[in-house]
Amino acid sequence: MKGYLQLNVEIFYWLLIGPWKKQPLKLSHAFTQMLRIGVDALPMAALTAFSIGLTIGMQGAHELQRMGATMYVPGMVSISLLRELAPLLIAIIVIGRSGSAITAELGTMKVAEEIEALGAMAVNPIRFLIVPRFVAMMIMLPVLTVFGNYIGIVGGWTICHFALDMHTATFVMRTIEAAKLDDLYSGLTKSVVFAWLVVTIACHAGLKVEGGAEGVGMATTHSVVYSMLAILVANAVLTACFFFF
Amino acid sequence: MATSLIPTDIPMASPDTGPVLEVRDLVKNLGGRTILNGISFQVLRGETLIIMGGSGCGKSTLLRHLIGSLKPDAGSIRIFGEETTDIDERKMDCIRGRFGVLFQSGALLQSLTVGENVALPIQEHSRVDDTIVDLVIKMKLEMVGLTGFEDLKPAEISGGMKKRVALARALALDPELLFSDEPTSGLDPVMTAVVDKLTQDLTRKLGMTAVVVTHDMTSAFRIATRMIMLGTGPLQGKIIAEGTPQQIRSNPDPMLQQFIKGEADGPIPLRLSKGDYLKRLLGEAHP
Repeated sequence: MKGYLQLNVEIFYWLLIGPWKKQPLKLSHAFTQMLRIGVDALPMAALTAFSIGLTIGMQGAHELQRMGATMYVPGMVSISLLRELAPLLIAIIVIGRSGSAITAELGTMKVAEEIEALGAMAVNPIRFLIVPRFVAMMIMLPVLTVFGNYIGIVGGWTICHFALDMHTATFVMRTIEAAKLDDLYSGLTKSVVFAWLVVTIACHAGLKVEGGAEGVGMATTHSVVYSMLAILVANAVLTACFFFF
Repeated sequence: MATSLIPTDIPMASPDTGPVLEVRDLVKNLGGRTILNGISFQVLRGETLIIMGGSGCGKSTLLRHLIGSLKPDAGSIRIFGEETTDIDERKMDCIRGRFGVLFQSGALLQSLTVGENVALPIQEHSRVDDTIVDLVIKMKLEMVGLTGFEDLKPAEISGGMKKRVALARALALDPELLFSDEPTSGLDPVMTAVVDKLTQDLTRKLGMTAVVVTHDMTSAFRIATRMIMLGTGPLQGKIIAEGTPQQIRSNPDPMLQQFIKGEADGPIPLRLSKGDYLKRLLGEAHP
């Protein structure tokens, strides 16, 4: 835990103080990571969000049809996606795809003495390797979440339009009526917290690798498991905060 | 090559008058084993010190202490006159900017190209123009016989070539002191001679100091101005011989002679004696 907190302090030091000491973040490295974490994950995030939007639409329609209340399906889809499902499921996709990759890459670098070599060249590994990944994750996970929100709502529209014969304009009106900006903001707040947890847990696990391939494998497993647990607990805490306050 | 790329963010220390490197009574225990046991030596400017010894004798651990990756349990290390065992990282980075390190595995960043690996220390520690960086990359790669390989990734070149790229990277900032761990392992005889010649030129003509860990005795005797040998077994972690190449060759110590001649039989305890082997194999059943 001490090492994890120290990593967080060092990340914020290099992010906020580093530029004043003429050692700023390498923007090209951050852009490369943004491509890997964000742009390359778009197809997977889209498929996940569309499937979830479609599923909520079908499940909602199934129950609400019996009460003649299918007009509430768009609101149900949009609110559940904006507040809860898009931030959570996109974060789970990113943990499996990028969190594990970050841990495995850093772990392999540690085993291959690459991180020690950086230190020997007076290049701080936190500034050079971790800060670009941190910045990329903090930007791209919320971006992916917004993207997931829209794709998920399209999934809900697909059911409403083709199965319930709802006009597109009606769907849009019902969605706008039901979902508030606060719903979007609460989901985005969650995605920012999830991004911080995922990237710091992944980087910490990667930097702590000892031994060879076995150590990298174990660290990657730990990174995925702890990230999942952390975001589920954080999700419950944040939902409680939004619910009570 | 004589023009040094002076790092802008690493302050230059005042001119040094004493030894470039001085190690005194260095002790390190790892996992209940004493790896280094009272190591003391010093290296003067322009010298090439060879550190040799059997596998597991602590050579690489000693090198890791010298570059500041490990902290000793006791003892002192002074580089360019600065004590480094209790120094803070910022000051240590100032010292690191004045030396280069060639790791045993090369330790190239796999995500960067050969050229980007060589450019890394230059871009991190100086504010020179990109055209100059490109020029320096070409010069350094030419020095190690790798002209035209700038755009390849480390995964696309052989082990020996990786070692040479790592040497080019270690020399990128024209260091005053070079630490090399097995610089010629994996190289063919011609390339070994080229790397040896390069080390000799840098030390004799430009006054660079080199500390080289090696098993390659031909190369060691070719470039050394002084040599030390670390012991194994009961003498683990101690310097068992020290001197010029001539003194080492004429040293009658049978352990040293076995090592430099590369003989299978001798006092260096690699295999069990026949009696010990049978006792370990058969246990109590052994008569």
